[in-house]
Amino acid sequence: MGSEHVAAAQPLLIGLLLLWSSYSKFRDPEQADRTALPRLVGESRAKPAYQTLAAIEALIALALLAPPSWAIEAVAAAALAVGFTGFLVYSKVVVPEASCGCAGKSAKPVGYRAIARALLLLATAAVATTATAGWWSAGPALGVLVVEAAVFVMLSAELDRYWLLPIRRFRIRLSHPYAGTASSTAPLAATQRRVLLSPAYRAVDGMLRSDIHDYWDDEDWRYLSYFARYDGRRATAVFAVPHGDTTPESVRVAVVDETSGLTLYRPTVLATTG
Amino acid sequence: MAGITAEASWFCCGNAWGPCGSAGHGACGTCNSGNMQHAWPNTSDSCYAITHPDTCGISAMSRRTCGFRHATTSLCTGKRVVTSIADCGPQTDLFCGERTCCGGNCASNRVIDFTPAAFSALGLSLNSGLSPVSIDVA
Amino acid sequence: MTTTMDRRSLLSRAALGATGLVAATALGSLAPETAFAAGSQFADAGQPDPNFAEGLITGRNQDLLQVQGSDGRMHRIQLTGVTSVWKLRPTTIDQAKIGDGLYARGVLLPDGVLAAEAVWVNIVNLTVAITSIARSGVQFDHHGQKVVGHVQSGTTAAVYNGTPAVSDLSMLKVGRHAQVIGAWRPGTNEIDIATIYTSN
Repeated sequence: MGSEHVAAAQPLLIGLLLLWSSYSKFRDPEQADRTALPRLVGESRAKPAYQTLAAIEALIALALLAPPSWAIEAVAAAALAVGFTGFLVYSKVVVPEASCGCAGKSAKPVGYRAIARALLLLATAAVATTATAGWWSAGPALGVLVVEAAVFVMLSAELDRYWLLPIRRFRIRLSHPYAGTASSTAPLAATQRRVLLSPAYRAVDGMLRSDIHDYWDDEDWRYLSYFARYDGRRATAVFAVPHGDTTPESVRVAVVDETSGLTLYRPTVLATTG
Repeated sequence: MAGITAEASWFCCGNAWGPCGSAGHGACGTCNSGNMQHAWPNTSDSCYAITHPDTCGISAMSRRTCGFRHATTSLCTGKRVVTSIADCGPQTDLFCGERTCCGGNCASNRVIDFTPAAFSALGLSLNSGLSPVSIDVA
Repeated sequence: MTTTMDRRSLLSRAALGATGLVAATALGSLAPETAFAAGSQFADAGQPDPNFAEGLITGRNQDLLQVQGSDGRMHRIQLTGVTSVWKLRPTTIDQAKIGDGLYARGVLLPDGVLAAEAVWVNIVNLTVAITSIARSGVQFDHHGQKVVGHVQSGTTAAVYNGTPAVSDLSMLKVGRHAQVIGAWRPGTNEIDIATIYTSN
């Protein structure tokens, strides 16, 4: 398996990659708006430019895949790869939030992986320019393409969900990093929700002026206090939520004047309304 | 359209601090977190293609464009605000069937997203994040 | 500290009905509806709400905050003894620091100062996809941008399919969509997670 065979094999991989890239651009031309193209060529020309690029990709791909094998085909692919790399670097610098628009739907902004992938494409195309035979006569050297293809897959953010996320999901099934975070103490978010669901809240919600100001626990209850206005004066609304009983009716409330220590208002009949 | 009952949440816009830095001024180009505004899931074809309220079985989601006014009443506090459309959202289809209650009132499906100014004007706490509301044409 | 204890003890007893009620004449003198109707003067649709402020804290002189709004407006926000402050959890007014982002609701005074009633510091509400889960943090994809969420033991809560919030995070799954309420760490793409809403 000489280096001339490896060089000869490259057009197969490059051709298939360009076909994939071209197909995804034709399938979803709206992706053009998310790339840096509108900035580069103008809003109205972005989509036609994107489609023209897809057509060029398809042409070069078919030329690479079909006999005869001419060095000019690999040179064209290398020129395209230089263009890709330049465009991606431009995107990252000038329009950092723009997506790559390379292959497939992805809102991800251009990252180092996308640039590395374009450079890898450039390297394979450069090797291909030295080929003296077609890929169909590369023989066992075609095996090298499997390794190269795997590297391309790893550099393609569009394909993460097919291999990276399943691996992570599997690892978490074996051992979840947050196993054992369960606790018998209810989080504040749960208490807040119970307050919102209670008739006690409905009885005083019009008086509340602030968000939760303070919260504390004692043996059987959790307390939440809010600043309120009652009858034109400053007051504090305090809710008592029992740890044990989870019915909405079990939540109690009082509106208190903190300076005098007097309770100004306490709804007595807490039936659900509405 | 008679008032629809739905879940409301909030979002930030207008190139503000933190993760909001890249949010921009929304699909209408006017959105600011401090303005009395909201996002609506059907402002255009391309917006509808993102939010897909039909996935949750909401078929009668009217097409309303930038600047259209809705009056929304919180089923939690009883407060009412009038806000105008400034963006496309929320992503209704990600949360189909989700249900939020307050007092005895419940609502399903996210069809409106408010700016922090509008959400807090409804008397709602930004940290609770979700609330049942009733939406009408203003 | 003693005052906090005394205060909490007074409020606890009041909430449980262990203290006496002030004269009955106060009762029913003001229905809740009337109370909020009086304070509900909001701005026109599409316009900035004068009783609300958003921005980054650029200065702090005792309890007066200088805030630069992202829409170019400057705000002066007065924190008082009756201002609630949220920063990952309900906290004290000294926690609003220079460099923090905030949302504040209150009453605009004639001198242009906003007397804050509720302040939310660094609060974010993000619709994300979970891309990885590790002890060092949960990685999110937020419209293509990477955001790292940190779990704070005792505070972080999860809501699965709308059921009551729990502290058990072991049902978080890679690939799922989630809504995250959290507190941004200024100058980074990291947040501390308050509540994560997802499906299990």
